[in-house]
Amino acid sequence: MPGPATIGVSAPRKEGRDKVTGRARYIDDISLPNMLYGATVRSRIPRGKIKKISFGSGINWDEFVVVTAKDIPGKNCIALIEYDQPCLADGAVNHPEEPILLLAHADRHVLPKAVAAIEIEYEPQPPIFTIEESEQQRQIIWGADNVFKKYLIQKGDLDEVWANADFIVEGEYTTGAQEQLYIETNGIIATHDAERGLVVSGSLQCPYYVHKAMVALLGLPENKVRVVQTETGGAFGGKEEYPSMIAGHAALLAMKSARPVKIIYDRLEDMVATTKRHPSRTRHRTAVRKDGKILGGEIDLVIDGGAYLTLSPVVLSRATIHAGGPYEWPAVRVEAKAVATNAPPHGAFRGFGAPQSLFAIERHMDRIAKVVGISPAEIRRVNFLKQGALTITEQTINENVELGKMLDRALEHADYHAKKTRFARENKHSPIKKGIGFAAFLHGAGFTGSGERYLASVVGVEGTKEGRVRVLVSSTEFGQGTNTILSQIAAETLGLPYDDAEVAQPDTFDVPNSGPTVASRTAMVVGKLVASAARGIEQTLIAAGLLGVTHTAEEFRAACKKYAAEHGAFRSFTKYEPPANIFWDDQKYRGEAYAAFGWAIYVAQVSVDTRSYSVTVDDFVALQEVGRVLNPVLARGQIIGGVAQGIGFALYEKVEWREGRMQNGQMTNYIMPTSADVPEIRVFFEELGNAHGAYGAKGIGELPMDGPAPAIVNAIEDALGMPFDSVPLLPEDIFEAMNSAAIRDSEARAPAGVR
Amino acid sequence: MRSDPAEFNLVAPSDLRSALALMTTEGERWMPIAGGTDLMVQYAAGALRARRLMSIARLPELRQINVAADEIQIGAGSTYTDLRRQEAIARDFPMLAQAAGWVGGIANQNRGTIGGNIVNASPAGDSLPALLAYGAELILVSLNGERRVPYTMFHTGYRKIQLASNELIRAVCLPRRFIAYLQHARKVGTRNAQAVSKIALAALARVEGGIVRDVRIALGSVAPVPMRLAETERILTGNLLDDSVVALAAKTAASEVKPIDDIRSTARYRAAVVGNLVAEFLERLRAEPAATEAANQTLARWNALSADAAEGEILACCGSRVWARAMVSRRPLAEESAALSASEEICAGLGDADWLEAFCAHPRIGGKKAEEVASLQSAAWSAQEQSSAAAAGAELKAALAEGNREYERRFGRIFIVCATGKTSAEILAILQKRLQNDDRSELREAAEQQRQITELRLRKWLRA
Amino acid sequence: MTKRGAARRDISLTVNGEVKTVCAYPMERLLDVLREQLGLTGTKEGCGEGECGACSVFMDGALVDSCLVPVLQAQGSSVVTIEGLAVDARARAVQDAFLEYGGAQCGICTPGMILAAVHLLNAKPAPTMDDIREGLAGNLCRCTGYLQILEAVAAAAAKGGAAR
Repeated sequence: MPGPATIGVSAPRKEGRDKVTGRARYIDDISLPNMLYGATVRSRIPRGKIKKISFGSGINWDEFVVVTAKDIPGKNCIALIEYDQPCLADGAVNHPEEPILLLAHADRHVLPKAVAAIEIEYEPQPPIFTIEESEQQRQIIWGADNVFKKYLIQKGDLDEVWANADFIVEGEYTTGAQEQLYIETNGIIATHDAERGLVVSGSLQCPYYVHKAMVALLGLPENKVRVVQTETGGAFGGKEEYPSMIAGHAALLAMKSARPVKIIYDRLEDMVATTKRHPSRTRHRTAVRKDGKILGGEIDLVIDGGAYLTLSPVVLSRATIHAGGPYEWPAVRVEAKAVATNAPPHGAFRGFGAPQSLFAIERHMDRIAKVVGISPAEIRRVNFLKQGALTITEQTINENVELGKMLDRALEHADYHAKKTRFARENKHSPIKKGIGFAAFLHGAGFTGSGERYLASVVGVEGTKEGRVRVLVSSTEFGQGTNTILSQIAAETLGLPYDDAEVAQPDTFDVPNSGPTVASRTAMVVGKLVASAARGIEQTLIAAGLLGVTHTAEEFRAACKKYAAEHGAFRSFTKYEPPANIFWDDQKYRGEAYAAFGWAIYVAQVSVDTRSYSVTVDDFVALQEVGRVLNPVLARGQIIGGVAQGIGFALYEKVEWREGRMQNGQMTNYIMPTSADVPEIRVFFEELGNAHGAYGAKGIGELPMDGPAPAIVNAIEDALGMPFDSVPLLPEDIFEAMNSAAIRDSEARAPAGVR
Repeated sequence: MRSDPAEFNLVAPSDLRSALALMTTEGERWMPIAGGTDLMVQYAAGALRARRLMSIARLPELRQINVAADEIQIGAGSTYTDLRRQEAIARDFPMLAQAAGWVGGIANQNRGTIGGNIVNASPAGDSLPALLAYGAELILVSLNGERRVPYTMFHTGYRKIQLASNELIRAVCLPRRFIAYLQHARKVGTRNAQAVSKIALAALARVEGGIVRDVRIALGSVAPVPMRLAETERILTGNLLDDSVVALAAKTAASEVKPIDDIRSTARYRAAVVGNLVAEFLERLRAEPAATEAANQTLARWNALSADAAEGEILACCGSRVWARAMVSRRPLAEESAALSASEEICAGLGDADWLEAFCAHPRIGGKKAEEVASLQSAAWSAQEQSSAAAAGAELKAALAEGNREYERRFGRIFIVCATGKTSAEILAILQKRLQNDDRSELREAAEQQRQITELRLRKWLRA
Repeated sequence: MTKRGAARRDISLTVNGEVKTVCAYPMERLLDVLREQLGLTGTKEGCGEGECGACSVFMDGALVDSCLVPVLQAQGSSVVTIEGLAVDARARAVQDAFLEYGGAQCGICTPGMILAAVHLLNAKPAPTMDDIREGLAGNLCRCTGYLQILEAVAAAAAKGGAAR
């Protein structure tokens, strides 16, 4: 289809002009007549029974709309995978900040005082806060054993492997919670009337997730619930499942008051009450041959899901499948579980389990290298997956990915070998210790296994009376480029200029369910469906005799206008068809886990100031194979943004917990990098194509989250000669480790008998 | 946003007097608010106890920065941006200029004030260690008048200050005596910008011949109040900066501070970093002696004289006692350029009487003796300067003598001109021209000539 | 009975070149007055504590966080928001550069970021990369990792957006 090429071109962001002029309208920029503001009364304790709720004096309660669990018309739950999470606590609470009551008032300024005036008496029960406490099962807070989900992967004969090993290397690696910290907090406006039903608008990733949750919560028919996504100021997974909760709250208040209700969280509430990245603990025990080849190993992986199941099984799934890294495991046993604690439920955050387990394996590989006595690069080369090899789920790698050569290129870009040598020499005489380290990884794009089949995404494209095309998807834009990429794909497919295609606002009344905007699936999976649906409307015009099989853009416009003039705007829909050779066994956790893997090597260069123990990332190389780069500026922006979040994950972003509640819920004390903290990040793309992705693309949104933390911690070990196995790694942690080491050294040097 | 604006009152008095009057009224105190970078955060969190606020952000009396010979007075309402833009602060008080750049981002620097930083009294206040190190004094003002309080005495406990309920800080005064000191400041925050301080150090020292003559080390965020390390300073003062002294000082510093565990950091980390930062400062001090020892021999000797002797000696350069005393008070002066720029500044502030006194120290030009000769040196220099006049022909000499007498009749004092490099004919021409001046203009011209003479004499003296 | 403070009063200020009189409590935040009373929703709230810069505006030419300014303190001032920048050639150069270089992703930090950039270029028309980092250090962005923003500002500076 000859026409102006838009794929591979940096088409300008579709909604960019509105964003740079301040015209873009986010949910808090919108007000409706007669609108009330909503607020949430939340639990102050981590676990217990609610004994009494009193409305304090000094407030005229008649002015307020009050909603409790009793007001819920449908099922008191936020429907997701399971139905265990209440929308409003009814008689018992299982985490701090759990929602109990809702208030609404026309003057939003009176709400904080009213919330504070509600006194709740609890009968506390013993809470648990750590993975270890959950495993001990002295307190059972969920199900029969605190375990949300378990997976087991087994392959090969491990007994033989231990017997033949030259080295057995063990390690334990932990990662902490991380807050998504989108700059726009959660917000929703809900309206309800008997005739039109419920309309929910707001900042969200997955309109149909919210739709499903509202239907269950409010007992409304599907066609009486409408969800509309407004311009969304960042999400990163933090608005995948959580919006169903805030939408449910706004909807309940709207139904009770018969007025529109807006709920906007301030930063503190958003930080302390909503989801975070699952904390994790991974234990490796690996049998290694003396040339560094992994013979096999055991991987024990646990993630902390917080108080309710929400998405933990899916996060665990991805963490499990990525636990082996981009390496061959002749024999392996992966035991993975997600456990419950009395913290607000943890949830989706870019990477979704992979950053956790990839941190572990990439730190572990450097450890193995040290034990075996070979270089970090060599240990990777000996074990890298390649075409024809099997992953830990026994998926055959079909593409000619040459990780060893990618590693060479990445290390060359980073000047790795020369710098490593130079730093080792210079560090002796400097209080600033420099180091360089890398991480090699893979990231599966799209839903796992049979996930995409189960989603059964539907995509539409519409031809308009103006002769242009609109893409109809529930896939949302929140900065990652959905509107731009899908417009590019539609335009490219039809041979139209980029400006002739646009994406319709995601509104469940108007667009089909193309699946959630998660899992790095939008460009790859949904994009492919967009191309298909675009061809569908082309076919309509051809079949109507208005268009030739090959045509110019002008001809298309004319045909489209003519057809629409007669029939109205016309649509074509495509449904996802899983590729024939994708096979996945959910029981054994074996088979084709993902339609495509992206591959990457990230190299970090750091300085550690031994006076302040602070780490600065001085240089960063991000090299990745992504199938096809659809839009260079957008793709580069995704990588750099992800690396910055990864730097935060590694060095700055620590959630300070006390009794299950985040103590540092302000931007002053939860530290994300500023422009002064991010180094030059040099991005390199490679393209092997992807038969299962639009125009050969693989998903890239989450991949950049996986590499930075292990690369940086590997670099810190290079700088200091000390291993660290936990992130976030703060100066205080480095100080304690160096201090302990110094004490141990001086004790070791002290002559016997002298203490 | 967790406060209800309807429950608050904010007024904006137009001048300092009205603001102070408001602070003495009955009822709940009117809490002063300047840039709001602390108070508005509390307000948004629903944690601001005060309900009545008084804006002092635009009071002109609080925004002035006055540079005098011996001190800089910084209006308490000066923003961090004001501080960064003030050349005299960048030159004389670089640690304060640096601290102003530590604060938040540009938007916070445009609003936050030095007075607010002091009154908020957080031990983590970015500007506070520098103020301590520089020996700041605060001018507090109320309707009853003003009083000066040394900043070292201002904090009486965690967030407790010596400020009466009817007082405002009007200005922060910094003494201009640290030109010859090595100055070193460092902040360790949670990230490179927009960071609350975990440890902040401001230190200055003067070292001569390897010996620490004066050292001031101030720390923030490691105690309930910003503090000077008195014990560490004691260990250093008067001692040679060798390895053992540096190690002992660093160790003492780490144990002298009283940090806590808090949401940002730990006590152990803070104490260890203090020790490291002090060691870093002392290593820098050791490595840069040239910056701290007097590069000029004359100054080295003169710096060590008693005040009287020093004054007596330098009067030869300029007969104004006020000038001489001010120069003495600037000691120690390190290099030639420091002495010359000090003199220039002092000259800029001299009054008429001072100039007249200086004029009196010169002999009449062309004459043999001064009416009053300050010293042999002065006489010798005068002779040198007027050498060309001495060599003039008889006719010229007579014309000069007559001109001098006429000048004295007209203006009541002798004619002053910087004679060096000028011929007698030129001097005569200048004299005749200046006889036409009015009193005011002539005094100015004479003062300018005296200034040039002083500069020449200073240069000679420095190279003696 | 809640204690009430001062009554609402008329407060006049120039906003984007036009004199506006708002009836507000003196302690209402300038941010809220701009957004709610004047309908200028381009200025955003990201944190409410002066940390993120999403609420940046110019007040008498100086970049400030409007969430920290009580509206009474803006009386008689000249305030410029993102909506008012459109007339400025330098600002247009920055906006165009943001589009070309990918300086905006989700866009919520963008108005504040552009104001900070224009403020920087007004003071330093030929900034170094360090100047740009410092000038924008008070504006947090979670999406871009900053580099494409810094490149956009550098490009706008190189184009030499015409002085006002």
